[in-house]
Parts: sequence; C-alpha cells; structure tokens
Amino acid sequence: MPERSGSATIGSKLPRLDSPAKAQGQAVYVADLQPQDALAAALLRSPHPFARIVSIDIGDAKQMPGVRAIAYSGNTPAKSLDFGIKDQLLFPRDLVRYAGEPVAAIAAETEDQARAAATAVKVAYEPLAPVLSIEEALAPGAPLVHPDWQSYEKGANRVTDRNICGLNRIRRGDVTAALARADAVVESSFIFSAGAPGYLEPRAAIALREPDGGLTVWCGSQSPYGNRDDLADFFGLDPQRVRFINQFVGGGFGGKILMAAEWYAAALALQCDRPVRLVFSRHEDGLNLFPRHGGKATFRSGASKEGRLLGMEAAFFFDTGAYVGYGAGTALIATMLASAPYRIPAVDLSATLVYTNKQVAGSVRAPGGPQATFAKELHIDELALALGMDPLEFRLRNAWQDGDRSPTGQLLEGVRVKETLEEAARAIGWEARRAPGRGVGIACSWWFSACGRSEARVEVRDDGSVHVHSGNPEVGTGSAAGALPLIVADRLGIDPTAIVLTLGDTATQTYDGGVGGSASTFSAGQAVKAAAEDVRRQLLERAEEALEARRDDIELREGRAQVRGAADHGIPIGELAAQAGTPIAGRGVTEEISDPEFDASLVQSHDFASWLAPSFVTSAAEVEVDASTGRVVVHKIATAQDVGFAVNPAGVVGQIEGGAVQALGYGLCEELQFGPAGIINTGFHDYLLPTIIDAPKVEAIMVESPSGAGPFGMKGVGEPPVTTPAAAIGNAIRNAAGAVPYTVPMTPERVWRAVKDRRDSRI
Amino acid sequence: MTVAPPKTLLTLRINGQDVECACNPNKTLLEVLREDLGLTGTKHGCEMGHCGACTVLIDDEPILSCLALAVEAEGHAIRTVEGLADGPRLHPIQQAFAECGAAQCGYCTPGFLMTGAALVEQQRAPSEAVIREAIAGNLCRCTGYTKIVEAIALAAKRMPHGSKDV
Repeated sequence: MPERSGSATIGSKLPRLDSPAKAQGQAVYVADLQPQDALAAALLRSPHPFARIVSIDIGDAKQMPGVRAIAYSGNTPAKSLDFGIKDQLLFPRDLVRYAGEPVAAIAAETEDQARAAATAVKVAYEPLAPVLSIEEALAPGAPLVHPDWQSYEKGANRVTDRNICGLNRIRRGDVTAALARADAVVESSFIFSAGAPGYLEPRAAIALREPDGGLTVWCGSQSPYGNRDDLADFFGLDPQRVRFINQFVGGGFGGKILMAAEWYAAALALQCDRPVRLVFSRHEDGLNLFPRHGGKATFRSGASKEGRLLGMEAAFFFDTGAYVGYGAGTALIATMLASAPYRIPAVDLSATLVYTNKQVAGSVRAPGGPQATFAKELHIDELALALGMDPLEFRLRNAWQDGDRSPTGQLLEGVRVKETLEEAARAIGWEARRAPGRGVGIACSWWFSACGRSEARVEVRDDGSVHVHSGNPEVGTGSAAGALPLIVADRLGIDPTAIVLTLGDTATQTYDGGVGGSASTFSAGQAVKAAAEDVRRQLLERAEEALEARRDDIELREGRAQVRGAADHGIPIGELAAQAGTPIAGRGVTEEISDPEFDASLVQSHDFASWLAPSFVTSAAEVEVDASTGRVVVHKIATAQDVGFAVNPAGVVGQIEGGAVQALGYGLCEELQFGPAGIINTGFHDYLLPTIIDAPKVEAIMVESPSGAGPFGMKGVGEPPVTTPAAAIGNAIRNAAGAVPYTVPMTPERVWRAVKDRRDSRI
Repeated sequence: MTVAPPKTLLTLRINGQDVECACNPNKTLLEVLREDLGLTGTKHGCEMGHCGACTVLIDDEPILSCLALAVEAEGHAIRTVEGLADGPRLHPIQQAFAECGAAQCGYCTPGFLMTGAALVEQQRAPSEAVIREAIAGNLCRCTGYTKIVEAIALAAKRMPHGSKDV
C-alpha cells in the first residue's frame, strides 16, 4: 500500500502553483525576455534535402549592416554530437542531409539585418539524389545518407549497416511451428505517418557570454541540465560556469528535449559580448522539429479456435531522418509493445531504424507508443474477428496476469490489464446496441516508469516560507508545479500554495534528468520527498527541544510543530528556523533503482529489455462514420489507466484528457508531409492539430495498484494515455463501417477508400 | 538590403489607458504589444492567424493581433490579458481557469482567456455548444479542451449578469 501521511494532501485535488500566473498572463516564456541590448539572430538553412557543400563564403555577409557575429562550420568545433552513434556535427561540413538543416547562424543589431545577412552567406551546393522513404533507403544500391557510416564511433548494441542505424529483436519459442498449429492466422501491414510534437510555443533561446568565460542560456527546455552538459562539452567550457535558466515551457511533448535554438544562440554569443536572442517563427520551428517517427509494420499471428494466442511475428521499420539523435528509443519500445500485454508462447519481434534525408525524428510523447499500439491492436482485432470472437473477450482471454513473463522474460507483478479493459469497456458501454454508422473499439497496452537522476533541496526559512529547488522543468504537465509541492506539503504539514518553487535553473545545483519517459514525478518526486523528509526530521528534532515533548507526540500541521491533541502547545516552523539561526534545509536525491531482471538470451541488441514499475492502460472509443464521405466523428474516449497511486489526481486527469485528444490527432488528422524539397506543412493551417470541434468527451479512469518503486507507489503517468486512443478509434471505425484503413492518420479519404474497397471486394 | 520605413507616432488605447508609441507602420499589433510596449502576456504562436494564442479584444470583440496592424487599432479600445483583472481582483474567467486546471503549459491560455472573456461578458449562460463554437479558433495541445470548456461555463455562471439569468 502507498504510505499515506496523516494529512490528506497527496492524492487530493488542488490547483497547481502556476495556475494564478498562467491565468493572468504573467508566466514568463523565453521569448518574453527581451534584453535591451540583445542582438537578434537568424539562421541560414539548407534548401536541399541532400547536397554536397562545395564551399561556404561568409565574406559578403560579414560586411552587411549591423552584423556582429557569424557562426558556421568554419569557426565552430568539428566535433560530433554523441547520441550513441557519432553521426552529426553542429554545422554540416561536407554534406547537408535534410532541407532545413542549419548551415550558418548570424547575429545582428536587428532581426531584419540578421535575416538579410543570412541570405548573403554564399553556399555552393552540389545537389544529390535524396533518400526520402524507407523503401528508397533499403533498396539495393541506394545512395548512402552517411557515406562514412563505417567510420562512425558508436555504442555497444548499436547496429549500423549502410542506411540502417538501429536494429533490435526479441525472440522466444518457435513461431513457425506455433503458426502451423493455429486454427486462424492473419497477416496485416500498417503505415504510420510522421507527426509533429505540436507544442504552441515556437522554440527560442537567449545566450550571453559571461566575463568569467562562462555562458548563460535562457531557455524553454525539457532538459536544461542535460542541455548544459552537452553544450559545455561541445564548446569545451566548464559546466559549472555554464548556467541554463529555464523559463516556463509552452509545451514540449518530447520535442524540446534536445537543443535547437540554444545551440545557435550559444555559438553566436561566444563570439560577442552582448546577449544573442534567437526566436523561431512557426515555419522555422517546423523545419527544425524532432518529429514522431513515421514508418511501417507487418504483423502475422495465429490463435487456436478457443481464442488462445499461439504465436506472433512483427517487423517494424522506422524512418529516423538524417541523424540518429534520440531515434533509437522508438525502435526499442516498439518491440517491447508489439506482443503486449498478451500471453503469447512464441514471438519474433524486430524493429529497424532507417536513415533518410528528412528532419531528425525524436522522442515525441510516448515514442513508438501510438505507432506500435495502433498496429498490434488493429491486428489483434482482425484476429478476433477471424475467430468470430468478441474483441474484448479475446483480449481478456489472453491478457497478462500476475506471475506471467514479458516477452523478454521479465516477471510481471501487479498486472492490471484486465481491470483497465473492464473499466474502459464499462465506461464506453461495450454491450450497448448502437445505431447504424456507430461503432465501438478497444485497445490496451503497457508502458514503463523511468527513473532518471534527480536532486532537490527544500528549506524552511525564518519567515516561515518554504522553498523548493528542483531541476525538473515545468513544461505544462503539472508535475513540477503540482505534484512536487503536494509532496513537500504532505511531508511538512503546510499549505502547498505557500511554497516558493525554483525549477530548472542549473545554478541551484539540483541536477535533474529532465522531462521525458513519464519520469518527472517518479524521479523528481522521489528527490523532493527525500529532501522534505530530511527537513521534517530536523524540524521534529528541534521541536522536541523547543516544546519539551517527545518526538512521537509532535505533529507538523498548518505550518506549525505542535503536540498532538494540544494545538496551543506548538511553535511555527519559521520560528524553529529562526532559533536555528539558519534555514533548515534538506537535500534529496533519487535512489538507484535497478531495472528488473530479464532473459538476455531472448533479445538481440536491445538496451531497454525490462521495464521498471510497468503500468497498464486501455482506451475505448465510440465513433460515428459517414461511409459516403469517410468522415469520422469521435463521440467519446474512455481511458482507464493504472497509475500506481495518483499523487496529484488533477494532474493525472489532465494528462489522460489531453493525451486522448493528442492521440485523436495522431489517429485522424495529423500527418507531416514531405516533398522533394522537404517538409511541406510546417504551419497549423496545413498540419492539423485537433480543435475543440474534433475533441470528444473524455472519461478518465484511474486504476491504482502501488508499484513498490515510485514515490507513494506511483507509476509514470504522462505517456500511456497517448498510446491507446488512436487504436481504439481504428477498431471502432471497423466496428462501425466494416473496414478501416491500416494507415494513420485515418483521414476521410483513407476511410472512404477502405470502406469502398471492402464493398467492391464483396461484389 | 532592407530599409526600415519611417516610424509613425501612434496613440493606442490599451486596457483603458492611452499609450503613445513610435513604431514602424508595418508592425502588427502583436509585435507592438510585445516588443514596443512590453505587454508580453499576449503570445505569438504562429503569426499567421491559425492558433489563436495572440487573441486580444478590440472594442470587446476577439481578434487575432498577429493579423492586425497596430495602426488599424488606433481609435479603438484594445484589451489584453494584462487588463482582465480589476486591480487585485481577478476576472471570473481568470479565477475559473485557475480553479479548473484549464491551463497546463499556459501558452495558449491568454488567447483562450480573451476569447472566453468576450463570450461571458456578452452572453448569459452560454450553452456548451456556444462555448465550443466560440473557442473553435483557439488551439490547445495540452488539455484536450475539457477543462477549458468547464472553466468558461463556470466563469459565465459567476459573471455579475449571469446570476440574473436562468
């Protein structure tokens, strides 16, 4: 059971600390900072998806009015960035590998001058035939996106082979024999379009060289400490003299983990003595984004006529773009999801990561999650239909239970697949009769909790104020501004709204691995809890003396230490700090939690083969399909999620509601399109995020099953709810219309064609 | 090479006060608000009129400040998120957004607040359909819109004129 304190703070619904500022337009984002003496920066980007750089001449640009600095390959380190494969330079030297790749950065007195000077940088290109799809990349004799791939340094477990930059596999049992025994075998192929993170705040950064040789960077990042370390390492600076001051982040969704504007503002600032401010337009942000991977998958599975899954083969291919970046995670997660959460005795699951001449794909919220879940859950429905079984019943019959093993041999405990399936089915009214054109669908999956290193400091000052320092940024999830204060308030018996928070400023020396992998409350929460407990212990120790009472008889309540049952016999905690003559401070750090054991003989080149504190999630959807136009209206999405323990229930509900609509966008309307000259749709007029008109009613259901690993038994919350809804919508479309496209997004045209093809095939 | 046009002297009525500024006549209202007047509560999301983050009120009607020139706004009453509260007293729409958790990352919030304020000031007890229609031009990536609709409905209920209704 989660350890609950006497107070009702954790697990209660309280408004987050940043709500008043955000409701008054007072929350500050990077581009709101406009230092008076700042230079404006602009970038010159490659117009070609693939070209040889013959020469770069900055002579004319330097002479342009107002120009103060130019950064490019000629005056920045020739060092490779390290993302497991050293395949990327800050500024390209020999080859540009995607249209939009920054080739030079210019700082000038005004933005107009910077832009004018950017066009005056002379780059001679020799355009090459680009590789724009997985098929082109893998074709025999295909042009190599990285002709020097064999010479790159790379980490263990990294597989490279021409245009392949990642390959992992999970194998258990004999699939061929299993499928030969099966009463029904189905094979399905899927296509996933690339997607944008879709945050509303375009990226921006300000950098200033400090007199001590250090650098200050104002950013809006998911990972300011990681960014600081990468930047310091690249430019050969002392990380302790590089300070990243994170602002509120206008949405990240995985798209603001790696640096973009920060790199170029910093490269320019190192050449001048004034702040350099770089603010992307929406179009530039679109050229510089880290998309959700596009790709494809083929599944082949078989089951007995009693509805038992016997074997599954799945092969994924993901288009990771010009450089490996953070692309590897998507492929690793995909194989972990492919056969889950089902008991399947024989599996063969693989994922291949492929270079193309496109933007560098990244870790968009639940990387690999929506893709793999869409494919496997539509495939599972197809198999259930082939057996003539109800899709819910088929899932319940095969769902993992306590004591089962994951495909990699991890022992599973606290499994809640069945509960989430039943809760979501109940909420959508699975058994209800529906009007023609309406249908329901269901999809389930599992996810992990990630624990990154995080440090925190909590202090009580003599005026009674409580200060919390955490390196965890507030990107909107309500983890830092909601869950962390709740945890401190709970431990210290104070009102959470009285807490002063300092987040994501590297000068506070509270390292944090950043927002990603649903890790924020799980990791930073652990550190903050430990720090608060340290303070709690010190307060009780001092109160023992001040109140001349036994420690066991003292409670911390409403900002005071008091003897239980004698409210007048107490002392404000600020008074205890005043008596101490110094703030009462505590530090906390995440404990190393080792990953669960797995069977290494079942995996090949897999770095993520067991999952800490796994969680389980099911979404059910009700849709209406107009077969004559292919238009799909989603009436309701119900998501039942195993959250372990909801430290901050308002935040959890917000993640599930928001995740459902993001996933609806993934499933129905969001699609990055690439032409011969790169991304076509960088704007919100042609890259369609769901509006309120598209948004269905969302029912968020929390299933609690303490994990034993996270603070208070919680599990990672942010990513699972974006993994299952698109698949549930797809299955609902088939239920409503008799057919569904195996391509996301399921646009009206694709739905219309799928329905028409099915009708035609019956004639 | 670009040559900046000569600056124009403008008097804008913003949040009930006349403000003078010298700015380039080709500047949008959004740019003047943020860059010349330091009113950064209004956000730039796309600067092409697609996302609604830059919504302000002109004569009580929501408009996209990224698509309006500052010179066009002269002689009109401009309201921005900075002008919603009455001193320390929050506008009901602000109170409701804070209470309902309608802001996650908060970047789209000023635009929703202005659109929502215009609605609740003009209409008594708007139905859910009316609320949805009113904010159809504002994008939010975080919340899934549920809490935003709840907040606007709550604010409408709390508006002084709202109590007379129903």
